[in-house]
Amino acid sequence: MTGAWIRFAASAVCMVLGLVFMVSAVFGVNKFRHALNRMHAAALGDTLGILFVILSLMIMRGFSLDSLKLLMVIVFFWIASPVSGHMISRLEAMTDESLGELSVLEKGSKVHVQLHDVSNLDRRASREKKKKGAKGR
Amino acid sequence: MELIEQAYQVLMTGALWILAVLIILSIIRSVLGPGISDRIIAVNMIGTMIIMITAIFSVWMDENYLADVCLIYAMISFLGVVVLCKVYTGVYLQRKHIKADLRAIEDNLAKQGVEMQEEEVQE
Repeated sequence: MTGAWIRFAASAVCMVLGLVFMVSAVFGVNKFRHALNRMHAAALGDTLGILFVILSLMIMRGFSLDSLKLLMVIVFFWIASPVSGHMISRLEAMTDESLGELSVLEKGSKVHVQLHDVSNLDRRASREKKKKGAKGR
Repeated sequence: MELIEQAYQVLMTGALWILAVLIILSIIRSVLGPGISDRIIAVNMIGTMIIMITAIFSVWMDENYLADVCLIYAMISFLGVVVLCKVYTGVYLQRKHIKADLRAIEDNLAKQGVEMQEEEVQE
């Protein structure tokens, strides 16, 4: 009797962990603003969420052929999910018109800064100095 | 023995309710999402949660074949995501007249005015 209750406790802990991961994944997908950030949140549910939920079901089921099938689901999902994530990120990198903008969060307000303004600031200043010098000569 | 079966029932029913609410929230995101990739991400996550629900049903109803349904659903969901990504990449490239090769990301960045690293090295 106590063995059955220990098994129930283990499966309940795994199920609750998986559901917490799924809730945080959906919360992150609804909260973040850009698609690449959203993908970062969605990958959490695709890997750890499904791992813990199906692990809980395998503990419930015991050692049998059904739990082997459920294990196959996890194995296939862990192979397929990074591939689909890579495809989605390539789609986003090709089709996003504002990929070069770097969004900077300040207190309360949101300011967009162009990426080349940030990375090439000093180089650009030196180039402008050269141009001005050439004009002067 | 009655009590522990009731406990399992409560656990599975709670998990199903929470997953149903999460699916509704993901559907809201897939309708609201501004870009096509946001929608694809939300639909992919709905597929994940449906796989979980099917697995829970396969244990609850003690049916063997629902685990197979789970596996097939995972494969078809993966195939759907890959096909959607390919189709929308092709549509975008055709609309913008960009060559469809590995340098398409660089072309996209060059159209936005972001300088790539190689050009600076050549200068």
